[in-house]
Amino acid sequence: MSTHQEHLSIAGRHLLDRRRFLSSSATALGSIALTNLLGLDGLLAANGPIIDPGRPYTPRQPHYPAKAKNVVVIFCAGAVSQLETWDYKPELIKWDNKPLPGGPAVTFQGPAGNLARPQYAFRPRGQTGKWVSDMIPHLAELTDDFAFVHSLTSKSNTHGPAENFLSTGSVLDGFPSLGAWTTYALGSENQDLPSYVAIPDPRGVPQNGANNWGPGFLPAAFQGTTMSSKSPVRHLSAPGVSPQADQAARSLLQKMNARHLEANPSDQKLAARIASYELAARMQLSVPEINDLSTEPAHILKLYGADDTQNADKAAFAKNCILARRLIERGVRFVQLFNGVYASGGKLNWDGHSDLKGQYDVHASILDQPAAALIRDLKQRGLLQDTLVVWCTEFGRMPFFQKGAKGRDHNPDGFTCWMTGAGVKPGVSTGECDELGQKAVKDIHPLYDFNATILHLLGLDHERLTFEHNGFQRRLTNVEGHVIKEMLA
Amino acid sequence: MKFLIWLPSFAVTCAIAAPVDFVREVRPIFEKQCYSCHGEKKQKSGLRLDIKSLAFKGGDNHAPDIIASKAKDSPLIHFIITDDEDELMPPKGKLSATEIATLTDWVNEGAAWPDGVDLAKLEDRRDHWSFKPLTRNGGFQPPRAHGKRPSLDGFIEAKLKENGLSKSPETDPISWLRRVTFDLTGLPPTPEEVAAFLSDKSHAAVVERLLASPRYGERWAQHWLDVVRYADTHGFEVNTERPNAWPYRDYVINAFNNDTPYDRFIKEQLVGDAMGQDAATGFLVTASVLLPGQIGKDDQSKRLARQDSIDEIVVNISQTFLGLSIGCARCHDHKFDPITAKDYYAMQAFVAGVEYGDRDLRTPEAEAAREEATRLKPRLAEIDKELARFVPLVKSSAKRPMINARENADRFVPIKAKRVRFTIKATNNLEPCIDELEIFTTSGENVALATAGTQRKSGGDIGVAERHELRFINDGRYGNGRSWMASKIGKGWVELEFTKEQTIERVVWGRDREGKFTDRLAIDYQIEIGDSAGRWHTIADASDRQKFDPKNKKLVKPTLSGLSSDEAKRAKPLMQEKADIEAKIRAAENEQKVFAGTFRAPDEIHLLNRGDPEQPKESVMPAVLSALGNLNVPKESAEQQRRHVLADWIANPQNPLTARVMVNRIWQGHFGTGLVSTPSDFGHQGTKPTHPELLDWLAAEFIRSGWSVKHMHRLIVLSATYRQRSDGVMESWGHGKPTIQQSKTPDPREIDADIRYLWRFPSHRLEAESIRDSMLAVSGQLNLKMHGRGYNLFDQRGGLSGFDPIETFTPDNQRRMIYAHKVRREPETVFGAFDCPDAGQSTAIRRASTTPIQALNLFNSLFTLAQAEAFASRVKKEAGDDIAKQITRAYQLAVSRAPTAGESRETLPIIRKHGIATLCRALFNSNEFLFIP
Repeated sequence: MSTHQEHLSIAGRHLLDRRRFLSSSATALGSIALTNLLGLDGLLAANGPIIDPGRPYTPRQPHYPAKAKNVVVIFCAGAVSQLETWDYKPELIKWDNKPLPGGPAVTFQGPAGNLARPQYAFRPRGQTGKWVSDMIPHLAELTDDFAFVHSLTSKSNTHGPAENFLSTGSVLDGFPSLGAWTTYALGSENQDLPSYVAIPDPRGVPQNGANNWGPGFLPAAFQGTTMSSKSPVRHLSAPGVSPQADQAARSLLQKMNARHLEANPSDQKLAARIASYELAARMQLSVPEINDLSTEPAHILKLYGADDTQNADKAAFAKNCILARRLIERGVRFVQLFNGVYASGGKLNWDGHSDLKGQYDVHASILDQPAAALIRDLKQRGLLQDTLVVWCTEFGRMPFFQKGAKGRDHNPDGFTCWMTGAGVKPGVSTGECDELGQKAVKDIHPLYDFNATILHLLGLDHERLTFEHNGFQRRLTNVEGHVIKEMLA
Repeated sequence: MKFLIWLPSFAVTCAIAAPVDFVREVRPIFEKQCYSCHGEKKQKSGLRLDIKSLAFKGGDNHAPDIIASKAKDSPLIHFIITDDEDELMPPKGKLSATEIATLTDWVNEGAAWPDGVDLAKLEDRRDHWSFKPLTRNGGFQPPRAHGKRPSLDGFIEAKLKENGLSKSPETDPISWLRRVTFDLTGLPPTPEEVAAFLSDKSHAAVVERLLASPRYGERWAQHWLDVVRYADTHGFEVNTERPNAWPYRDYVINAFNNDTPYDRFIKEQLVGDAMGQDAATGFLVTASVLLPGQIGKDDQSKRLARQDSIDEIVVNISQTFLGLSIGCARCHDHKFDPITAKDYYAMQAFVAGVEYGDRDLRTPEAEAAREEATRLKPRLAEIDKELARFVPLVKSSAKRPMINARENADRFVPIKAKRVRFTIKATNNLEPCIDELEIFTTSGENVALATAGTQRKSGGDIGVAERHELRFINDGRYGNGRSWMASKIGKGWVELEFTKEQTIERVVWGRDREGKFTDRLAIDYQIEIGDSAGRWHTIADASDRQKFDPKNKKLVKPTLSGLSSDEAKRAKPLMQEKADIEAKIRAAENEQKVFAGTFRAPDEIHLLNRGDPEQPKESVMPAVLSALGNLNVPKESAEQQRRHVLADWIANPQNPLTARVMVNRIWQGHFGTGLVSTPSDFGHQGTKPTHPELLDWLAAEFIRSGWSVKHMHRLIVLSATYRQRSDGVMESWGHGKPTIQQSKTPDPREIDADIRYLWRFPSHRLEAESIRDSMLAVSGQLNLKMHGRGYNLFDQRGGLSGFDPIETFTPDNQRRMIYAHKVRREPETVFGAFDCPDAGQSTAIRRASTTPIQALNLFNSLFTLAQAEAFASRVKKEAGDDIAKQITRAYQLAVSRAPTAGESRETLPIIRKHGIATLCRALFNSNEFLFIP
């Protein structure tokens, strides 16, 4: 049955046009009824959501009942080494400082040096006894809760295209981000806050900057809004304008728009713009409130490490993690939490080419406790039942050091990410790399599969969530993608 | 053929059991189990099992699919019996043992599939409306509207009637004037323009005025730049500035203003290097591209990056000019349109010699400047030599210039010397390297030269034969290729001994006088002389030079201080001449580049299996899309010739797509939606035109007019269709209140919610750039300076991170937004939220979102507040102190009308209390200001 819905007949298009008319002219209650109607007969599902441009954030039904309502993506920029974290390769200890069998490789930055053992000690953790590194002791304690995939592959070994690929499903610039697709599909449960928030690392933005939360060719309504514990949403108030003058301008505007609407009653876009000012006014109150961490008790600040006076970067990242939790608490659909920034020779992100251990000591101390606390905190508040937490990075690193250096080069052929929370099967590991950790060899999953799995948990079929752009029914997963069933509860 | 031969023998061997019958036994299994993914609607992995020829041919990776008589070799059978869960077909559930046996037997018996039994018919994908030739006049005469002369209105009215609709009455003059002014120029009409139109009512005069205004090209170029995803940075992770992209932006503005015939516009963008329009080929390289440093050192990465960059060119050409998306044929034949993978690679072959890069812009002025620069360079070298004699003396009071990699001179009071030692005490990195050490006598002779018999020794060398050798320190030849390198990191010394004592006054040395290398530079050093008695004296070192810091932009300029008055007299004119020449050379070099591609011998293009550069198949010649023609070009053709052929084919009146696609874009520019609502997709996946006859008539009219875009604007904006009201009051309803009769008339909103049949004019919100430009126009701050390097929206013009908005406003950044330096993917702080494209991918349609973020930006940003203040000052200046007059003037400027009595009454007390700027800020946010009526 699903096949004939893929390509709508002209009559089908007319039908949709008519429905769109009804939905935009009906009362709010009417729209809800209509949304249900569309959901039931499958038309919504078959053709991507129907968006009223005037009300882009109206909550919409997923394709099928969702396990997760919200998502937090912890995005580690710069490519975290799987070999120092989640993918234990004891064989590499034996091969330490020996040349790669079959001759030295030429990789992203040039000729390779010798194989190098994991730079941190590993030990078995929790009930599952899975071996995880001492680099991330707090996160390691949660190992039993995670579902790992060790056999991801990327389409590029360059950070820019690869971070695009992770965030948007395309190596090119200008494709919609995962968060934009999600918001486009599902709308928002909270009209007082942005539906999709990107929280950059306190030290800067990741490679490709805004493309990681961009709308691509989707309407701009679905782009991520940046916000962090350091800098709230822009333009929340008019600097230098007295509250009285501000209110006067607002009331003048209301009167002008009301008159204009009266003269142009059939144009829904006008009413939508009026409503957008009302929403903005609510946001002006909600955003400062959500950014005000002074209401957080001391034990919470301590849990996250937000009170760490020795490590300012860690404390700032911890505050971002608390902000993420507060946003989720308030029903924000999609939160992207960045750890690591732009290319900086590995100083400010996970790009450990030259001195991997030295740099990872710094980065791990920023990431570990706050991220683990976020998961614990979501859990203890019961939020993890509806929230999916994803930890990801754009690719992995090579089992050998680079020639003349103590760091590892880019490796798009086998790396690790994980998920936890709503709908995720705890304590599983799927996929394997070879015993040196250079290439995925078993149950290989291109990153498309990882993204398809995230959408699946949100109740979305990655093959049916589409948007027409210049002749393509575009999807997050292009024409690829299989849900990684092993990771599902 | 194979199975036809085998069939008889199996007929004999299997004589006992009745052979499996395709129609009765095999096809039902296919129908039940396979067609949902491998049938008419979907062909997953390229496999289709309901058409005989395609079923045997197989899918993308497993072809052929059915090998007659060899079940175990046939992918068809493999996929239904495999143990690999990921491969097993169908994906959900396994076939029954009987079904498997039936299919296996059928294949082993020879896979007999009788001809003519297929229920599905292979559609001819070429049989598609947009691929059919345009007949003369589009083949249609426009129906006469209301007995007037033929016009596009006839087509519109016929279609309205067919759908039980009728058009709306003509709109009021002010609405039409605002509409057409925004549409053609992106700016509102001035109160004076409103008054003039109200008095003479000449629509045609208004249209001619607007089309002649340079503001027209600025507005319509933006539509074009959206489609070609123009930006002033390279994109991807480093997103560095593309400093010479803007001449292409200016070319597009000029092309619209000059009404360059569209066929010529196409040709110039593809092969402008042969037409005296270098900037135009900026079109070829508008995409994001990886810079060399971002591409992996491994060969695979290099091949992939090159493929990606050619792909962008091909995709841009086909979607922009032809309205076809051919990019998917990079990996496999197009699923819906008649575009094969081979077609795709044949298109690549047309542009396989294009590289992303700067090229000289060959305007006559630029050419002349460049010739002069070439002529002046030898003179500059002479001056440098002469001036080296006048550098400040060491240990004089003057600060000496910073060390540079090219050449440094140390001048001292003449002294007798037998030997000179040059000691390096620090480098900027690695082992030091010096390309030549020169020592001049008071008579200007270089006595260091080996040819003068001078001997040399050093504290240790790194020898690289014929490149770095000690003998090159005084061989009289410059450059890294003939240089000396010391053996230790950061230090070393070299000593020269003359045949006899010399009176010397200058030592000149450099890392690389050819200017290619800046590493291994001695940044701390000393020069000693050995006298005839064998004693050493230090005569110069780095201590009185400006501290070495390559980032320091404030370099010590050559000065006359430290020179004797006689020396100063001789040096001064030389310095002046040097400065003049350098400025000329710099100007010639800076101004004359355009990021418009460089051209070289084309790569050989191969068809790539699944688009993978590591799986090349047969090589491919440049050829146009096979569904549309059979024009190809010999492989030996020169690079430019290839692009010529392609351009001529696209810009040909016979090409069925070119004119249709462009007139549709123009239509969309006026009505918000094209007659085809998918402007860059005229293929099977695109929508059909709502008015096919009108589209063809317009296309024919376009060609007939000599491809004049302005002619199309005139046709459209002067039409009755365009002059309708936008508020949804229909003609049949009359102008007054609804009467009983109307209850019989169906609500047009129900028949045509999207206004595709144009029963009214579809009003729409201004686009991001128009909002900004219009605010500036109304506030009186708009700077109409055209062209040139873009102004900054952010504190940097490209780079990895941290684009902070500039929020102080100057005449330069109050120019039209098309002149802003466009940072790819970085939304402008206020207006980015208004669906401003990010230049990542092509934007053929701008969506119009409505969001609270927009409201926050437009109501609270410093830009709005600054413009509201400026608007208020303007109003006070033009209307005087009377507040009522001020209110009237503000309304006139912003919304082209005076306030009603009610509005004035409401507004007055507020303005008395808070000032006119409050009204200005509200007006900028009002729907009336922001919507094209």
